[in-house]
Amino acid sequence: MNKPLSDGAGSDISTWQAFCATLKRDLVIAFKRKNDLLNPIMFFLIVVSLFPLGISPDPVELSKVSAGVVWVSALLASMLSLDNLYRADYEDGSLEQLLLSPQPLYFLVLAKNIAHWLISGLPVVVLSPLLAYMLYLPSEAYWTLVLTLMIGTPVLSLFGSIGVALTVGLGSRGLILAVIVLPLSTPVLIIGAKAVTDVMFGLPVGSHFALLGAILALALTMAPLASAAALRISVN
Amino acid sequence: MPSLQFSSLAEFLQMGGVYTFHIWAVYLLFAIFIGYNLMQPRMARRHFIREQKRRASRDAELASKSRENINS
Amino acid sequence: MWLWFSKLGSPRWFYELSNKWLPWLYVAMMVLMSVGLLWALLFVPEDYQQGQTIRIMYVHVPVASISLACFPLMAVAGTITLVWKMKLADMVAKSVAPIGAWFTGLALASGAIWGDQIWGTWWAWDARLTSLLIQFFLFIGVIALRSAIESQDAAAKACAILAIVGAINVPIIKYSVEWWNTLHQPASDFSMDPVAPNPPEVWVPLLIMISAVYVFFVIALILRTRNEILQRERRSQWVIDLVSREKSV
Repeated sequence: MNKPLSDGAGSDISTWQAFCATLKRDLVIAFKRKNDLLNPIMFFLIVVSLFPLGISPDPVELSKVSAGVVWVSALLASMLSLDNLYRADYEDGSLEQLLLSPQPLYFLVLAKNIAHWLISGLPVVVLSPLLAYMLYLPSEAYWTLVLTLMIGTPVLSLFGSIGVALTVGLGSRGLILAVIVLPLSTPVLIIGAKAVTDVMFGLPVGSHFALLGAILALALTMAPLASAAALRISVN
Repeated sequence: MPSLQFSSLAEFLQMGGVYTFHIWAVYLLFAIFIGYNLMQPRMARRHFIREQKRRASRDAELASKSRENINS
Repeated sequence: MWLWFSKLGSPRWFYELSNKWLPWLYVAMMVLMSVGLLWALLFVPEDYQQGQTIRIMYVHVPVASISLACFPLMAVAGTITLVWKMKLADMVAKSVAPIGAWFTGLALASGAIWGDQIWGTWWAWDARLTSLLIQFFLFIGVIALRSAIESQDAAAKACAILAIVGAINVPIIKYSVEWWNTLHQPASDFSMDPVAPNPPEVWVPLLIMISAVYVFFVIALILRTRNEILQRERRSQWVIDLVSREKSV
């Protein structure tokens, strides 16, 4: 991004290059600050292991709620890490640079959202079978759990990004981010958790995946637009 | 033509006896809801006007005081 | 057309026009509400299944159905704010949010009370109640966002975006919740469908109550919007004149 801009509004950098540069930059920053990388996973682990303590160690009871527990914990872990998405960039002014760049903001926001998912969503997906095992999820439901999380967690990052973009300029954000984002994420939670439960009962789950996929497609096309518009409002 | 369903006031208030509380609770909530949403803007408006009047009179007072200061 | 449009956008014009509308709306509400309430309470025959509790329907259904209109209305007002930067639209959007929360809250409460009779429990994760609950959370989110942002202009735009995103989400939430529960237990047991094969003496008063509550909604919205206009235009001459004409209280 250090290349000098050529004269006029155009630049030498293509949208694709800018997309990759933004993605790479966010990933590099995350890997430099190990906490950003570790905290969502640790949070996910701790929340999931609280449930057996709160409900009961009984395998039958735990396996009934296991799908929901893993899904809700993934949702909360995604929420927790959302603040990293624009906060630091807002404070050091690089967010303003991003808004001023000649590239379409849609792709830059998308790159940041994908980076957020790679940092906070993907580890959760990878870790989920282990936690499902600890919660006695029947083995035939493992793949469904992983796949629904794989489709569902990007939606959580994309929706969450809108909430963060709307609140990034606020001094005291408190719980407002959760109040805005959680209701928006309910459809993904409902469908994802239900797919896993249905597999446990031997029901077909094709329609669940179709619905999740449709929501992901909708979120991919619309959510970065809303995030971009929200960022422009918050930063000025 | 619809006909009256209750023969006495007591019967009306009882609403069949089994679910008296449920029915009247809903209508009570409805009354509170209507009353609040009509009264709240009215109170807010009165508050606004009182506030603006006070501000206006204070401004007038300040203006006359500063005029006196200049004159003296 | 554009002249009309810019005139409509003028808060002062709206304020003065609503002065003329309000008395008529009050009369319409009083007439519709008293006819509807008297009919619902006194004349509607007992339902063969629900008995007298059928009378709860005449509060619950109008309130619930109008609460569903609030989010789309807020999204439309938000779009107008973003595209045409019309001040009045944002004042309406700001006023709809608390009214929508009230409507949704009452729909939930009356639904719960009715549910105690139909299902034998105050709260059931019935599809419609659940989606109302999530809609209630969405309204709270919009109100919280509005009060958290200090700059009025930024708050207007941010809430407009949230309203649009929410309005796109509301049908998705509704369908996913319905789909989630209807597979669990048969919907027929839980069906609160009001306009099932019912005789006219049941649904005519319902229609009257729905229109009464609609008029009430419009009145509440206008009253709140008028206050918002006064608040935001308090430095302009016409509001100063209006305040000085008002007698002291």
